[in-house]
Amino acid sequence: MVKKFYSFELKNDLSELERLCLNCEEIGRSIGVSDKSIFEMNLALDELFTNIISYGFNDSQEHIIKISITIEGDQLQMRIEDDGVPFNPSESKTPDFQCDIEKCKIGGLGIHLINKMMDEVQYQRVADKNILILRRKLRRED
Amino acid sequence: MEIIEEKQDTISVFRLNGRLDSSTSQGFEERVFGAILDGSKNMVIDFKDIDYISSAGLRVILKATKALHREKGQIMLCSMQDYVKEVFEIAGFDTFLPIVGSMDEALKSF
Repeated sequence: MVKKFYSFELKNDLSELERLCLNCEEIGRSIGVSDKSIFEMNLALDELFTNIISYGFNDSQEHIIKISITIEGDQLQMRIEDDGVPFNPSESKTPDFQCDIEKCKIGGLGIHLINKMMDEVQYQRVADKNILILRRKLRRED
Repeated sequence: MEIIEEKQDTISVFRLNGRLDSSTSQGFEERVFGAILDGSKNMVIDFKDIDYISSAGLRVILKATKALHREKGQIMLCSMQDYVKEVFEIAGFDTFLPIVGSMDEALKSF
């Protein structure tokens, strides 16, 4: 089975979202998935990246967030690694949006989107690093 | 992201172009809340040229919707591309936000 592996690094700065987008487009085209799948890959990684740089670091130092994307057969795997404070997003509660507009809470929305788009979200804390692995089985329309 | 703001009678119209994510949402929020502070009660956000939105963008829309409701005003979202609309649907926002197909429809609803 053909395995393709891609990796890149981002600095902890919101301006890096542009590079994240360009990398997702380039990798997505190389894998040969649809524009919709590229959009969803980008969105899932954006939500995690934004979370990490918003809440992950207590200092004002530069940090590197490592991202890798692997495709093996119909399995897409995205791995994101950072050296921020321990944070397991898969433990976040799913917010309830089917509610009165005034009561509607907005926390946890990004994680909710990831859980809806991915089949599996797995968290590990290894050697002071957060490692999050997202898996998704590619369907024919992807 | 480019933001073009215009008034059509008493309605504030925002035409967005580009990506509405955590690096652009703050600027958008400032413009929207600037208009609300200036007395705008009715607002249309045109998504025709938006090809990406993340939860940061959804948050601004939700905050604006709540603020306008308190003022007894109304927000309309129009002309969304499929993937962008899907993000609203996955989040469940389509159940309480008025999303219509065209600018004409949005303007007529006030």
